[in-house]
Amino acid sequence: MADAPGAGESLIKKEPDLPAYDPIVSNSTSGWMLVSALLLTLSIAWALYDEAFGQRPWKGMQREFVARYTRYLNSIKANSGKTEAEIIESPEYQQLKADEDAARAEVKDEMAQIDVEVARAQRKLDAVTDTFQNQRGRLTVINYNVETSQGSAKDRYRRQAEQKRQEQVTVELPSDDGKSVEKQRLNYAQLEKLYDDLREQKATGLGRKAELLKKPSELAKKKDDYLKNNLIGLGPAAIEGLKTKMGAYDYSILGHQLSVNAYNIVDRCEVCHAGIREPLNIKASDMAPDGPGKEPDSLARAFVSHPNREVLRIHNPEKFGCSSCHWGNGRATTSEMKGHGRHRFWLWPMFEKENTEAGCQQCHSRDRVTQGSEVLNLGRDLFSERGCMGCHRYEGFDRETDSLAGTRQQIGQLEDQIRANEKQIREDEGASGTDEEVKQLLAHAQGLRVTNSLLAARIDQMNLQAKYLMQDQKKVGPNLKDVRVKLRKEWVPVWLHDPWAFRPETKMPRFWRFANPLEGRANMQDKDAEDQIQAIAAYLWQEGFDSKLPSQAQGNAGHGKELFESRGCLACHSIGEGDNKIGGHFAANLQRVGEKANFDYIVRWIHNPRDRVAPYCPKEKRDLTADDYAKKGLPFVFDTELHSRCPNDGAELQVQNMTVMPNFRLSESDARDIATYLFSLSSPPSYQAANFMDDPKLKDKGRALIKQYGCAGCHEIKGFEDEQRIGKELTVEGATPIERLDFALQTQHAEEGEDPLKLRPDEKEHKPWYNHKGFFERKIEEPSLYDEGKEKDPKDKLKMPEPYLTPEWRNALTTFLLGSVGAEGSNVPSSLFYTPQDQRRQDIQNGWWVVKKYNCMGCHQIQVGQRSVVQDLPFYQTPEGKDLLPPRLSSEGARVDPAWLLRFLHDPSLSGEKTPAQQQQINALAGPSPSPQASPQASGSPPAATADGQIRLHPQPGLDRNGVRPYLNFRMPTFNFSPNELQMLVRFFMAMSGQQDPYIKEPMKPLTAEERLVARQMFTSGTPCLKCHITGDPAHDAKAIAPNFLLASERLKPDWTFRWLLDPSQISPGTAMPSGLFRKEGDRWVVNLAQPPQSAVNYHDDHAQLLVRYMFLLNPDEQRALLATGPATTALPTAATTQHHASAKRKKVRSHHRRSPVRAVLGRQAAETFKTQLGEIK
Amino acid sequence: MRRYINKWTIWGALLVIAGIWAFTVRDWHQLWTISSAPDNIPIVAMLFLVPFFTWLGVRQAVANDRLVEQLEADPKLAKVHHRKVEPWRPGWARELHVWPYLVRIEFLATVIVTVILFVWSITLNAPLEEPANPNLTMNPSKAPWYFLGLQEMLVYFDPWIAGVVMPSIIMVGLMVFPYVDSNPLGNGYYTLKQRRFALLMFGWGFLMWILLIVIGTFIRGPGWIWFWTGQTWDHNAVVFDKNIDLHDWVATSRLGKAIGLGFLATNSVAKFLFGFIVVSVFFVVGALFFHWLMTVDFKRIRLPRAFSLREFHQALFPKKELEQKLLARTSLLQYLTFQFFAVSVLLALPVKLLLRLTLTIKYVWVIPWLNINF
Repeated sequence: MADAPGAGESLIKKEPDLPAYDPIVSNSTSGWMLVSALLLTLSIAWALYDEAFGQRPWKGMQREFVARYTRYLNSIKANSGKTEAEIIESPEYQQLKADEDAARAEVKDEMAQIDVEVARAQRKLDAVTDTFQNQRGRLTVINYNVETSQGSAKDRYRRQAEQKRQEQVTVELPSDDGKSVEKQRLNYAQLEKLYDDLREQKATGLGRKAELLKKPSELAKKKDDYLKNNLIGLGPAAIEGLKTKMGAYDYSILGHQLSVNAYNIVDRCEVCHAGIREPLNIKASDMAPDGPGKEPDSLARAFVSHPNREVLRIHNPEKFGCSSCHWGNGRATTSEMKGHGRHRFWLWPMFEKENTEAGCQQCHSRDRVTQGSEVLNLGRDLFSERGCMGCHRYEGFDRETDSLAGTRQQIGQLEDQIRANEKQIREDEGASGTDEEVKQLLAHAQGLRVTNSLLAARIDQMNLQAKYLMQDQKKVGPNLKDVRVKLRKEWVPVWLHDPWAFRPETKMPRFWRFANPLEGRANMQDKDAEDQIQAIAAYLWQEGFDSKLPSQAQGNAGHGKELFESRGCLACHSIGEGDNKIGGHFAANLQRVGEKANFDYIVRWIHNPRDRVAPYCPKEKRDLTADDYAKKGLPFVFDTELHSRCPNDGAELQVQNMTVMPNFRLSESDARDIATYLFSLSSPPSYQAANFMDDPKLKDKGRALIKQYGCAGCHEIKGFEDEQRIGKELTVEGATPIERLDFALQTQHAEEGEDPLKLRPDEKEHKPWYNHKGFFERKIEEPSLYDEGKEKDPKDKLKMPEPYLTPEWRNALTTFLLGSVGAEGSNVPSSLFYTPQDQRRQDIQNGWWVVKKYNCMGCHQIQVGQRSVVQDLPFYQTPEGKDLLPPRLSSEGARVDPAWLLRFLHDPSLSGEKTPAQQQQINALAGPSPSPQASPQASGSPPAATADGQIRLHPQPGLDRNGVRPYLNFRMPTFNFSPNELQMLVRFFMAMSGQQDPYIKEPMKPLTAEERLVARQMFTSGTPCLKCHITGDPAHDAKAIAPNFLLASERLKPDWTFRWLLDPSQISPGTAMPSGLFRKEGDRWVVNLAQPPQSAVNYHDDHAQLLVRYMFLLNPDEQRALLATGPATTALPTAATTQHHASAKRKKVRSHHRRSPVRAVLGRQAAETFKTQLGEIK
Repeated sequence: MRRYINKWTIWGALLVIAGIWAFTVRDWHQLWTISSAPDNIPIVAMLFLVPFFTWLGVRQAVANDRLVEQLEADPKLAKVHHRKVEPWRPGWARELHVWPYLVRIEFLATVIVTVILFVWSITLNAPLEEPANPNLTMNPSKAPWYFLGLQEMLVYFDPWIAGVVMPSIIMVGLMVFPYVDSNPLGNGYYTLKQRRFALLMFGWGFLMWILLIVIGTFIRGPGWIWFWTGQTWDHNAVVFDKNIDLHDWVATSRLGKAIGLGFLATNSVAKFLFGFIVVSVFFVVGALFFHWLMTVDFKRIRLPRAFSLREFHQALFPKKELEQKLLARTSLLQYLTFQFFAVSVLLALPVKLLLRLTLTIKYVWVIPWLNINF
């Protein structure tokens, strides 16, 4: 361009013949054009491909599913026949088949006989029918004519009809053997009778045949059911059907989309997860790319069927969709990432497999226990048991504390109102004015007085409620007002420094600001950690009760060990260390209790843990002393029953320790023995002296620190009785926007997947954890993490201490938190939440809170399939050990009378009426001058001084006594429930068994003398009931392993008892109660004996019902009579001794069941005796 | 000096600058996160496309200017038909038709752009961001890329000025400029010499706008805090920015106190008057500056050789003939209109930006009674 040619010259020149190269005209763009056109074509092709396949990856998945599933179906089709054949060959099936055949053979002859008879009748019937029907037809015509004709014609027809009736017709009846024919001439009446008789004969025969076939057909059904239940998967026909379905597979989204209009749910999960609801149970290996049984790939894992069909049945996907439980993005189909909602801005990312049950919590947030959500239930258990709720409010947890605060506030308001009214009354009455005005004012004052009395009544109600709430209010940790009397002084700072060093796995969290022994985290420790510990210890020590406890002598450690292992302590507590540890984790491990505690205190604690040193008055906000009582001239006595009010102002007091530990009604010496045993497990080391704990200068600092760390969340501490929770409310924590979770300096680590805690060391790839799960897991694993590297004032540092967690526990708690999203954070409308409207399910929901609070499941099985802690203890693994376990309560509501259950839960010793012996015992224990104010339910009364000046523990009512099952070593302890909780528990058990509310007891029909005799005979013959059941006779009861019949009428429900008699093993598998005592005979149950007593044979009503009535009407006299004559105590060899011979007993019980001849004879003898007796009575 | 400026040295210099910059980048992951966000793709492309097309245009303009020079030097040649970008050569067609010579190029461009759009739309989906939540807005919360300049302006001005007044002035200005332009030259072809001032003003405004967008995209992080490229966007980052009004700054400075201007901090009338004076002075100075830019002959600017007013004037304000001529053609209304837009947008924006970034000046002119601040 720059080198333009000489200008002037070119102007004159003609254009040359050959044009020069023109940059525009001569340049061709075809090359460019071609390339661009090709690119355009390619990009259009790409766009089309993307539209058809790139954006529809599910199409490939569907094709793959159909291919793999069809292959799988083919592979099992051959097998399905084989498996059926295998089952048919199995001994069980063969046995059933043999039973059926035997039953058929049994009736074969009779059946043949009936067939012959029926055939005979039929032959005769054939011969008669035609003739009879002809005659009848003609007669009907004549009768019609009679009816319609007039005058003389009528009479004529009548005569005709009479003739017809008298007319003799001939029938040719075949003889019985069918060989000859007998001619008979019969008139109409005779003919009709013959016809009817023959029909009757035939019907009877057929009826008998059906009756005979009943048993064989029942057995045949049983056999077929067995085949059906044991055939894995489906039969060949069904598989063929599935294959046909695959052949016509609907390759679309809409065909597999779940739309729930009501809840605005549209889920397309099944577009890819096509096997989820297949009738077959598809496993990943079935869908492996290289054929069934090979190594599955990720696609195969996506094609499996839903692992929990039961859950799917209750939550039908057609109604709930998928994403409502699992979260994720139900509408996305273009990629796994999008469908599962794994996008940082998607609010509901799919829960990880291990946290799936978080989805349950979303709707079941008001449940304490949700059936089938084991991980979630564990999370809830941990949240309450490990003390999370001490600092963090969570709706539903620790409801007593919340309602107590509300109740107290209301009482305060009402009192203010009363005061204001009183002031107004004084003003009204003091005012002057005209007569009319004064009159009006006086009337007003009068009205206010009435109002005040109403308000006072309300306050009384509320006070009562407050009392119950205080009774039910519990703390996770021990009462620290007791430290002085309970603990070794030097031990307190040692414990505070690092509780896990002393007692690994304890509930007490490790305060990382005091000590952080974890690798690389020591720098998180405060510089003045030691000073802080000293200050806290000093405050606790100086503020503790200084009281004198009865001093206790050493007991028998051997006996203590026996008691500790057998009474039920291990349902909550554990003992031993490391691999030797046994017992539950609901309460502390007691291995090293001797190193820290005062022996006298522990004896007192075991004796009655609710026993409080001094009551606390929430109104005056202080602990009352003996002086307070003395001033009013009252004895220093306080208990939950009668003495729960403050002597100064009548306010309800906190009269018992806030512990769930119940009272085992042990004698003082037993308590001593257990304590001695516990103290024998460790020898106290010498700790560094801790004189600073008496330094009053440290108190203020200690107080501030206790407030800062929130110790009062779990412990009772003087001066902190009304302390609020210091942690964040967690009810909807899972819905916190991720931006509001303080990852602090870990944000970048979280986003890049670098894990400073190495929670999953075996996982190779770095997985980003900038999400709720990542945050929660690390927050509870190591709370100091989010303070690492931060420059903060000590008071601003994170307060949360480090809880002890196993990886399983951590996951359970994380699941619980992830699901805690409330209505706002949930991805389903709150109308889907589980809020039962019917009373029954509400009762269940409420009851679980109480059941879990007191760890009932440590001893009892409440749900089918659940295991109690004691069940897994090494001592109860033998058959005889299993007999000694606490009763299974899965059908408790159906079994017992609710009124009785209430009484029992209130006082499990059922010692409301004490036997003289017991009273004597109590008196003896109480010493010569028992406190006159002591109520029967005294809990928390102070030690009473005996004449010799020795302070003794208060006597126990119902001492050493089990109300229902004295034969058990386990002791149903006294929990001291408030009426609120008693009611909740009873309703819970009733609701769990689907019982009607209210329960109205039907009166029992009295027995006739004859019935009584029959019942007695049944009672004593065959399996004599009184052999195992308790009677009240100590010599006999030593061997008994079942409750007393005298309790039955008030304790049991007749319907349940009836079912129990018929088949106890169905209600409580493994029970010692024998099954098959009765057999069905027609509609009724009769006693199942080879040679039943004659009177029973003559008795034509239901035997089992009769026995129930007899049991319910049994009185002590009758029982004594039975016992005196029954074979149980006399005839039996008494090899079985008191302890641990249950198996022998059981064997014997079973042998009775087999009706040994000896037993049968004895039974008859007993019957004879009774007959004689009965005669005498008459 | 001039002989060292060639393409090698320029590339070399660019490489060195890039190297130094790369050396300062501490967090490549962060940089990648920003650059790869689908909605930031146009801006990343702009970083390269704007310089490239600027260079392309300048190259063409330089070539044209040479051609103009050549043609002007030879009146005969000037009379010959010539292609606007290159002199005519023998054998060439004297005139070219739109069809096919222009249309085929345009068609080619259309096809290429279509391919780009196809590929773009297939490979990059619209980004999903946080759900709208008035209680929890996203942080940083950024406007679409074409509005980022506007959003960045909000840092420097009163919202009313930055959000309403400035954009209106810019739009009205763009509409008005054809009418204030009195230059008949340079239509339809690239040139630097013939439209020196117009190009300077446009380039200035355009690049400023681009710069604001780039700052908004790459520099502004959470809390709209200034993060240098390659610095991690830390949500917990804290800065202490205490913006003060100019009068307060003056009143509280040591010098201000010394000369008795402390009352500016308290007296609102004084504040108003002070701001008014400052702004007026700014407008006068700004106008003079633009006037100088309009007429100066950059090539003849030199250091004054003697200490006299005349020498200063001759050395620093040499006039250029063409520009003088153009100025003479411009009416007073055209001139004032231009000056208003130029000073209030082209100059005020960068000046305020520097004041804010370096001296943390919030407002220059506070009118307390109207709640309008400049």
